[in-house]
Amino acid sequence: MKKQKSGLTFFQKVVKYRTLLLMCLPAIIFFFAFNYMPLPGIWVAFVRYNYRDGIFGSQFIGLDNFKFLMTSGKLLELTRNTILYNLVFILLGNFLAVFVAILLNEIRSKWFRKVSQTIMFLPYFISQVLVGFLVFNLLNYDTGFVNGVLTSLGLEKWQPYATAGVWPVILVIVYLWQQTGYNSVVYFASIMGIDGEIIEAAKVDGANGFQKILYIILPSLRGTIVILLLFALGGIVKGNFGLFYNVVGSNPMLYPTTDIIETYVYRSTLVDFNFSRASAVGLYQSVIGFVIVMTVNFIVKKIEPDYSLF
Amino acid sequence: MKKKLVSVLLTAAMVMSLPTACFAEADGGSEDPWAEAWADVDTSEHVVISYMTTGDAPTQTAERYEEMMAKLNELLTEKVNAELDIYFIPWTDYLSNYNLTLARMDGTVDLVGTASDWLDAWPNAKNGAFLELSEDMLQKYAPKTWESVTPENWDLCKYNGEIYLMPEDNYAQWTNHGFAYRLDWAKEAGLEDGVHSWEDMTTYFKYVREAYPDIIPWDSDATQYGQMGGGWITSHSDYVSIDGINSGAMWGGKRSDLYTVYCPYMTDTDSLVEYAKMMKEWDEMGVWRTDVLNNTASTNRDDFRVGKVAAEQHHTQTWTDLVSHTENNTIYQTDEDADVGFFYFGEESGNVTALSITHGAMAVSAGSANPERALMVYDLLRNDPEIYRLFNYGIQGVSWDVDENGMRITPEGYNPDTDNINGTVNFWWGRNDDLEIKDARMNWDRIDELYAKYDEIKIEYPYGQFVPDVTSIDAYISNINEIYENYMKQISYGKYTGTAEEIVAEFQSALESAGVNEVTAELQRQFDELYGN
Repeated sequence: MKKQKSGLTFFQKVVKYRTLLLMCLPAIIFFFAFNYMPLPGIWVAFVRYNYRDGIFGSQFIGLDNFKFLMTSGKLLELTRNTILYNLVFILLGNFLAVFVAILLNEIRSKWFRKVSQTIMFLPYFISQVLVGFLVFNLLNYDTGFVNGVLTSLGLEKWQPYATAGVWPVILVIVYLWQQTGYNSVVYFASIMGIDGEIIEAAKVDGANGFQKILYIILPSLRGTIVILLLFALGGIVKGNFGLFYNVVGSNPMLYPTTDIIETYVYRSTLVDFNFSRASAVGLYQSVIGFVIVMTVNFIVKKIEPDYSLF
Repeated sequence: MKKKLVSVLLTAAMVMSLPTACFAEADGGSEDPWAEAWADVDTSEHVVISYMTTGDAPTQTAERYEEMMAKLNELLTEKVNAELDIYFIPWTDYLSNYNLTLARMDGTVDLVGTASDWLDAWPNAKNGAFLELSEDMLQKYAPKTWESVTPENWDLCKYNGEIYLMPEDNYAQWTNHGFAYRLDWAKEAGLEDGVHSWEDMTTYFKYVREAYPDIIPWDSDATQYGQMGGGWITSHSDYVSIDGINSGAMWGGKRSDLYTVYCPYMTDTDSLVEYAKMMKEWDEMGVWRTDVLNNTASTNRDDFRVGKVAAEQHHTQTWTDLVSHTENNTIYQTDEDADVGFFYFGEESGNVTALSITHGAMAVSAGSANPERALMVYDLLRNDPEIYRLFNYGIQGVSWDVDENGMRITPEGYNPDTDNINGTVNFWWGRNDDLEIKDARMNWDRIDELYAKYDEIKIEYPYGQFVPDVTSIDAYISNINEIYENYMKQISYGKYTGTAEEIVAEFQSALESAGVNEVTAELQRQFDELYGN
């Protein structure tokens, strides 16, 4: 069917688009080597892995490796935490990134724009381990900065490391502080890509600054926003281990609100070092991520076919 | 200039090695004991044997370490045409890195330092990471080790009838945990003969808090929850734990009834409640920092040495160092009354179990290209006096020396910061009391006194032959591990909300729904199979 439509065979297409394909080649090789070649390794999630027999020689045990996730009785709570955190990260993160990109675009002084962009970009390069220490030094009870300020103001000390409820807020703030500068770059670039004539025409028609943003910039960004959201949703079941592990640490008092799939698996399998079980968790996350992306993409396709991924 | 220095040092090293050689002869006879056994072994190919150990590679003392290794390799080349290379697994995340390295199976390592209780020896043997050591092989390539270990002890190194480990079974050490504390301060607090119970410990901490307000009594980093919880149970029952099931050592028997498996965290409810209450009291008293659960940057042991904290929770072996007047322990220089006591867990109930002989053992990697030569090198490291002392203490005359009483001392011009490579190689898998030279700086009177007491009350580790098969229960154990850590951290540091009764009940019901009883039953079944009813 398809062949008839385009009028070219697969081979003819390869010849015709050879230059484009050649340019694509490094990416194809990369994905093939790192994403497709290891795929058969998924098998490890279904065996009792033994170093000497290897992945395919070890005893097949079906879904036994998934059992521990089910019997933990925490699967729901963990999946819920993971998804909710990611949802907030994705939505707030993108919202803030768009907001910041628009603000940057409105800054007239080129010098000031560069400086503020750089400053916002910087936290992205700080290692999560250091971020963890930074937060601890700000918030800890005995010597923390925040408590130092509170004490000198004559107020009562605050004990966040024993208060589970405040951590969703803290984690979201830390995440946004770290990622917004970086995320806004893409949006800023696509604002730069908007045809200048449209904006000029709007100005001639008497649009003010807000109207320009509302009716021109935001609609032009819609495609970028949807695609980035779709990409991000694919990873919604994969928690940000670096952030959670380093900022929360292994403080069980905070687990009810901060425990995600990754941190739980890390704690419970670190002790007995079970490759198969860790892979089983990875597979579980991938399957859920796959389902979510397919569903969302399907919905997007129904509403606005141009913006769907495929 | 540098070259000159090196050459001077090398000359010194050579001269100094002469007395060592004499020593060797005095100890082992003039004949090379290996000559006969290895006469027909083909060692024509020079090989490098890689030995994996946990521990950090030396930094400040790297120069002495390199010199020692160079000399060691000279000797090994001469004797078995092999060189030794040490593969250090740094302490950060050591267990993951250790297991990952073993899983590579590409010949990265040959000799593997391991342990059945703290380094996953049995899981790795089951995973196929270790080579089966046949009796013929051991007899042929590690003859001295084969001879020195009794058949009963070899039996304890078997899994499914095959020997996997060479045990460190001729080295006196005690690794039962407890609190090292300032005995002089305890006396000030009115505890005339020191701390002998958890209640005394409370009194002690209370006093320290009042008399020395600048001192954090114990700057713990929240990793000791398991040792403390286990210590409490040992102190208040006759529980004997089984090694190597999980890090919490949550299953075991009783001294009075060794082969009935139980989990004290499920049965000893009242005791646990009392524990939770006492730890809450400690927490409120300020024994540790308020944010102890997030405290990762603690240097408590070093702080103890200089008098900045008042207690250190670790094992007896660590206390033997803290009680000795070494250069690092500056408390003895700044305060002439300073003295360090040890309150060992199990003291109240007289419940002390000797160490399993596989607390330290050497295995050979199944991925090793030269297992025979690896065994030969191990046999020398463990049994050749000259090589043993060189490897463990460093070069004689530079890093250590012997005084007229035959005790080990530091030589003149010795700088502890750069010359001390005593134990750098972490040979915890083959130390040998026949070849050890007692360190003159150690406080042997006090150490021997405690060891004598231990010997009086101890029982031998009873479950040496039991290698649990956890395949059917390890999904439960994973979750139980997590629950244990989760709750014991809160209980052991008094960081729980609600009452002690509530938290213990919650802990027990979480354990129960995670399958603790299923694990107990399965272990009992395996016990019955091994020991009979």
